[in-house]
Amino acid sequence: MTRRMVKWIGLGLLAIGAGCDGVTPPETLPPAIDAQLRQDLQRWGVVPIGPMPAQNAGLVGLGQALMFDGILSGNRDIACATCHLPAQHAADGLALAIGTGGTGLGPSRVLGAGRQFVPRNAPSLLNAGLGPFYLFWDGRISRFGFGPGSNEFITPAGAALPPGLPSLLAAQAMFPVVERREMRGAPGDRDVFGSVNELAQFGDSQFAEIWQAVMRRLLAIPEYVAMFSAAFPGTPASQLGFQHAAQAIAAFQLQALTKTDSPFDRYLGRDDAALTIEQKRGAVLFFGKAQCSSCHSGPFLGGQGFANTGVPQIGPGVGAGAPLDLGRGGLAGNDFYKFAFRVGPLRNVELTAPYFHDGAFPTLEAVVRHYNDVPTALREFDASQLAPAVRESYHGDDATITAVLGTLDFRLQRPLGLTEAELHDLVAFLQSLTDPSARDLSALIPARVPSGLPVPR
Amino acid sequence: MTQRPVCLSSLSTLLVVLAHTASAQLISIRTVPIAQGDQFEIFPTNNFGMGGVSIALADTLLDAFVNPAKGARLGAARFVSAPTAYGISRGAGGGRTLPLAAMARSGAWYGGLSLALQEVDASQPPHDGGIVLTEPPLPSVAPVAPAPTLPPRQNSYGNQYAFAMLGRKASGAGLSLAGSALWARLTGVDGVDLLYAGSTGLKQFGHALDLRLGLLKEWMGDRSLEAVVLHNRFAMTHDVGYVDQFWDPGTQQFSVRPRLEHNHDQTNTWGLHLVYVRPLAASGWRVGWLATVNRMSHPKLPEYELANVPVIPRDPGRSSAYNIGIGFSKTRGPAVFGIDAIYEPIWSYTWADAASPVATTLGDTIPVGGKTVENRFRFSNGLVRMGFSRDVELGPLGKAAGLQLGLIVRSVHYRLGQHDNVQAAARTLNETWFEWTPTWGLSLRFPDLEIRYRGRITHGTGRPGVQQSPVFLAGRDAALAAGGILVAPTGPLSLQEVGITTHQISVSLPLR
Repeated sequence: MTRRMVKWIGLGLLAIGAGCDGVTPPETLPPAIDAQLRQDLQRWGVVPIGPMPAQNAGLVGLGQALMFDGILSGNRDIACATCHLPAQHAADGLALAIGTGGTGLGPSRVLGAGRQFVPRNAPSLLNAGLGPFYLFWDGRISRFGFGPGSNEFITPAGAALPPGLPSLLAAQAMFPVVERREMRGAPGDRDVFGSVNELAQFGDSQFAEIWQAVMRRLLAIPEYVAMFSAAFPGTPASQLGFQHAAQAIAAFQLQALTKTDSPFDRYLGRDDAALTIEQKRGAVLFFGKAQCSSCHSGPFLGGQGFANTGVPQIGPGVGAGAPLDLGRGGLAGNDFYKFAFRVGPLRNVELTAPYFHDGAFPTLEAVVRHYNDVPTALREFDASQLAPAVRESYHGDDATITAVLGTLDFRLQRPLGLTEAELHDLVAFLQSLTDPSARDLSALIPARVPSGLPVPR
Repeated sequence: MTQRPVCLSSLSTLLVVLAHTASAQLISIRTVPIAQGDQFEIFPTNNFGMGGVSIALADTLLDAFVNPAKGARLGAARFVSAPTAYGISRGAGGGRTLPLAAMARSGAWYGGLSLALQEVDASQPPHDGGIVLTEPPLPSVAPVAPAPTLPPRQNSYGNQYAFAMLGRKASGAGLSLAGSALWARLTGVDGVDLLYAGSTGLKQFGHALDLRLGLLKEWMGDRSLEAVVLHNRFAMTHDVGYVDQFWDPGTQQFSVRPRLEHNHDQTNTWGLHLVYVRPLAASGWRVGWLATVNRMSHPKLPEYELANVPVIPRDPGRSSAYNIGIGFSKTRGPAVFGIDAIYEPIWSYTWADAASPVATTLGDTIPVGGKTVENRFRFSNGLVRMGFSRDVELGPLGKAAGLQLGLIVRSVHYRLGQHDNVQAAARTLNETWFEWTPTWGLSLRFPDLEIRYRGRITHGTGRPGVQQSPVFLAGRDAALAAGGILVAPTGPLSLQEVGITTHQISVSLPLR
């Protein structure tokens, strides 16, 4: 009996010894997709977006009128909404925007005689007011600091930018009217009525004078005077500046173009059934193997940084880099960002083709294929998919391609190795970012505008 | 910081049924080696210092609480109190219980009453080396209105227990029949507050009810058969407060908003427990066999939040747990030795319900209430308890001192087969770990008074730190047996190893 007792004790001690050095190595158990995805969302800071506060009705009404009124353009022939058409989901459907002098709307819009393309794609205004730190493809308009009191902006206007702009979006709205190719026109232009384009007479750095001239036009129309008075009660007409118009335009965008009720947003709101299984698979790829989230992260899935994603160079070019477009690298002191452009926020991206800063890719499928192997995709870019007028400005020479690849984002220098099925799932996920109410924005088009000019629709 | 990946860098469903390790009427199911506080050690026990040996060795203090029919063995009426305190190392938690019990008999009838008050400290993530890990700070911005009222973070919880027992011994037949009821009003179960990682506050409230019908048959020759039929109901509600971060387009900055979630934790158990004990010849050895069946249903299980760990949604489940065991004891003068060996085969089946129609990879649709994920567990657990005691006479007047030493070793092994009906994918997982618990005890016996001190410390388990915020419950009970916890984390999880130390001082006085 004693021997048996010793044996039992021995077994017990053996078990203790086993316990001391832990346990058998665990096996890998792939997580459930929702579990994985919610962890990814947390890791990449993808938090829900709250409701947009209702904007002042007077501001919204004024902003809507201004948005669709060609009176803001030097030649009175192009409104903000011309390149940000409701029918094109607040963009224009073109690879490169066509500014003043052009005719037609949307994808059928054509250049005017002697005019050049705007060097970059007109981005959709959907959700532009959510609060990004940068606007424009090169981020030349930016803000620093958080919160409503952080209305300090870096813009090309420098000190000429009037104070009191409430948001980056309002600050941005100050600038299309000063861009010659977009809205202001060239010296010597005459407007649609044959009158001298007085806005085009100013120098490119005369921001204040240009804005004052635009306001003179607006306040010459009694209906606008009444609308400004309603939007800014207590502010005499003599103290109204274009910053007030920009504030109204921004208010209209915030009210009408904020679209954040996508299936993905509902998923963020803890509704696991909001996404289909293929969308979830695509999301897991987006935040994992495909590395999209290394740039497209945060509440907007992008909009907070810049990257050279190896996009083919198309267009007349910008600034000293022309005929190339160096992107943010073309701004003073930003050599590091050569060929880098703003990482776009992705909500409603399904609706805003073509893609990238120069509209090089017409579909989401083409975009994800490009990302799957950027060096190869850039070298083998098929320019025949571009509209003929744009195709002529494609810079497919070896020197340009080598230059672009020379500063290619390090994450894209090797192929991602995504399969066809994975590419399909990625696209499905990107489609889940669409707010159904963004598909039809026709209700935003006013019947008329105070100037009586044609309303782009 | 010492972080031991306690045998799970990937794991699966955790299911804990609160059960007393020393008794076998309620079988504990666990899928991760989470440290269990000894919250439900609320009754006095004599064999605690001997590893809780119980099959072939009577526990003169605990037996009546486990099987009320064993109250028939009571001698004179007695008052017993057994203040018990447990602590989890690295400041991870603790609790204190003050039970008061009285037992008496009158003729063939016998009965007992017990009341216990308990304070359970709020669970804390373990800290080490003076580096205190604290909860993540809340964002500094104010919550936006409208705000539901969130429960505050509590420092401690109070629980109350009431136990009653009544039995009758049939004269001459060696047969006793008794029933007992334990009711507990619970406002805190140890460790649950750590189950909701990222929460800002938790309010627990609920109850547990344990009903037992016990039978004891004793034959000539010191043979006995005992049987217990039990029904245990555990129902807790967890009101969990969260502060969710979101992007506020109005202020163009991150903001927070409160969220209140109501969770229910319910488990119902039916059980049957049999023990047969007899002497082994005239050697002084006794041998006992036990067999137990538990059928558990989990009508509703909480939605735990385990930070950094993907968790499969949990919904109802059911379990069938069995144990068979053999125990030996030998009494030789003032020395007593006992050992139990128990094998526990357990089958658990849990699943996640679809809250809305879910399209699957195969193109069909899982309707509302359909099963999206199914987990099937097969456990093969083992438990060895052994202990030794020695009494020393301190004089001619019946004074004696006693020493107890013991050891509990538990091994847990299970295989999980998981089927994801949405992704049409199947996975398997094998998991194993050991826990070991040295025990000790001292006692002083006077003619009319017994004072016992019992202690033990459990190693081999851990609790999550704040960085791996997932946390799980611990707990078990004597007769209480309560609810369960069912989560299905499937990602990396590291636990910081902790020890659980329990001390019990019991005083037994005759009532005159």
